[in-house]
Amino acid sequence: MEKRKYPLYFSFPALAIFLLFFLTPTLIGFYFSFTDWNINADTIRFTGLDNYRELFREPRLKTALTNTLIFAACVTVLQNVCGLGLALILNEALKLRNLLRMVFFMPYVISPLVIGYIFRAIYHPENGVVNHLLQTFGLGFLAHDWLNDPKIALYSVIGTDVWRVAGFSMVVYLAGLQFIPKDLTESSAIDGAGYWSRFRSIIFPLLAPAFTVNVLLSMIGSMKVFEMVYVLTEGGPGYTTEVFFTYIRSMFSTGQFGYATAVNLMLFVLVTVVGVPVLLAMKKREVEM
Amino acid sequence: MTTQERVRLIILELIAVALALLILIPFYMILVNSFKGIRESALFGLSLPSVWEFKNYKDTLQQAHVLRGFKNSFLISGSVVVCVNLFASMIAFVIQRRDDKLMRAIFYTFICGLIVPVSIVPTIKLMGDLHIRGTYFSLIMYYTAVLLPFAVFLLVGFMKSIPRELDEAALLEGCSFFRLYAQIILPLLMTVLVTITIVVMVSVWNDFFGPFYLMTDSTKWTIVLQIFNFVTMYSTNWGIVFAFMVLVVAPILLLYLLLQRFIIDGLTAGSLKG
Repeated sequence: MEKRKYPLYFSFPALAIFLLFFLTPTLIGFYFSFTDWNINADTIRFTGLDNYRELFREPRLKTALTNTLIFAACVTVLQNVCGLGLALILNEALKLRNLLRMVFFMPYVISPLVIGYIFRAIYHPENGVVNHLLQTFGLGFLAHDWLNDPKIALYSVIGTDVWRVAGFSMVVYLAGLQFIPKDLTESSAIDGAGYWSRFRSIIFPLLAPAFTVNVLLSMIGSMKVFEMVYVLTEGGPGYTTEVFFTYIRSMFSTGQFGYATAVNLMLFVLVTVVGVPVLLAMKKREVEM
Repeated sequence: MTTQERVRLIILELIAVALALLILIPFYMILVNSFKGIRESALFGLSLPSVWEFKNYKDTLQQAHVLRGFKNSFLISGSVVVCVNLFASMIAFVIQRRDDKLMRAIFYTFICGLIVPVSIVPTIKLMGDLHIRGTYFSLIMYYTAVLLPFAVFLLVGFMKSIPRELDEAALLEGCSFFRLYAQIILPLLMTVLVTITIVVMVSVWNDFFGPFYLMTDSTKWTIVLQIFNFVTMYSTNWGIVFAFMVLVVAPILLLYLLLQRFIIDGLTAGSLKG
């Protein structure tokens, strides 16, 4: 049968919406990042590389870049370690298995904004649950002002996000574990392989597809973080928890639209530089399978 | 089962239960504090209220337009679910079946949309130029455009597993392409469509970014944007704020608890086939 006969017009609605509402803003953003577009000016002037020159002189961009990378790296690693650990535990014949799986996925269905507010209360320096529990267990010296201490504020936000998304990774890893034939792990156990060597030589390699899906999703997702940082710290104290989208937000609210789109383009470059190689590696692995 | 094996399982179970408490404590905290008065709730404690303030809920319902927020959230996320499932399955059908240069180019354009972050400032300008800024329609189109890549990615992958012979047989019988898509292909895509529906529903319902930038008219605010506004206004009375949060979290949590088997199975089935 002729492949060409499949009607092209089936692709029109999706294509139209995607081109108009995603690709067009991306492309006009590219243009506006070279202009002085702002709230006070009557006309938009083309200013060449001015925004970028200013951008690279601005220490806030460097802070946003560093923090975004730290945030993405920590969340990706921790989310996957926790998710995999939970999946391995909840893949065993535990009595409360289904209930526990349900509980760990629960935070994922709640809005990050609401979770941010909840953790603002939990991290509260005097009354928050975290410091209270630390004091109860005689670890009072570990108590902190979690969101206002410039040294640890970013890590408090990271911890909250890992709390939110670990369950999602768990589900993807559980899916991966189901594809591993039971007799393969059982026969190696009979052959005397310990848990660790079984994990390293059988489970881990066969989990590769779940691993790539998880890493890709958490890396791309965490570089685009906004709500969690905005609600917990608003990028502060100072700019110590500033990430790209909070920086864009503050440039937008001061009316520097051209400059804000230039910052957005930097985020675009960052996500592409990190995301595309991972995506290609994933595609390559798919071909091999 | 050997004794050693049994002990191992019990230890694992205890660890898992302890970790589950870490997930549950924050939920318990907002619930218990939503019944406390203004002073007690500001302590964010885990103890039961000394006086149960059921009034917090009544006040919240009176002060905030909770029902209007729910209606807006439901309208918007429901429309996006329909648009994404329908349009993504249509284009995925053509992309996978035609599989020529043009279609592959289109597919990779969508894949780029999976990675590239939204350019929010130009989006606002575009919506303004099209004279749709602040309408339900603009927000629905924004979300559809953002979520289509993910749906297309999953569907094209899954479509490969539906044999082409099926198409040929149907077309030989004189079936039109539209009927082939609607009556044969679409039902076979059900598992992926369920996964997409769940992911789209959760991400649109919970999103703050979109309405924060695109919705200027407060009567069209989603429930999440209303919390943001409410907290800014009433942050001095945490009892009321927590009551609002419970009202907002409860329905989606209830829905999750009812559908959780389905949700986790759907994600499990869909997440690795792409």
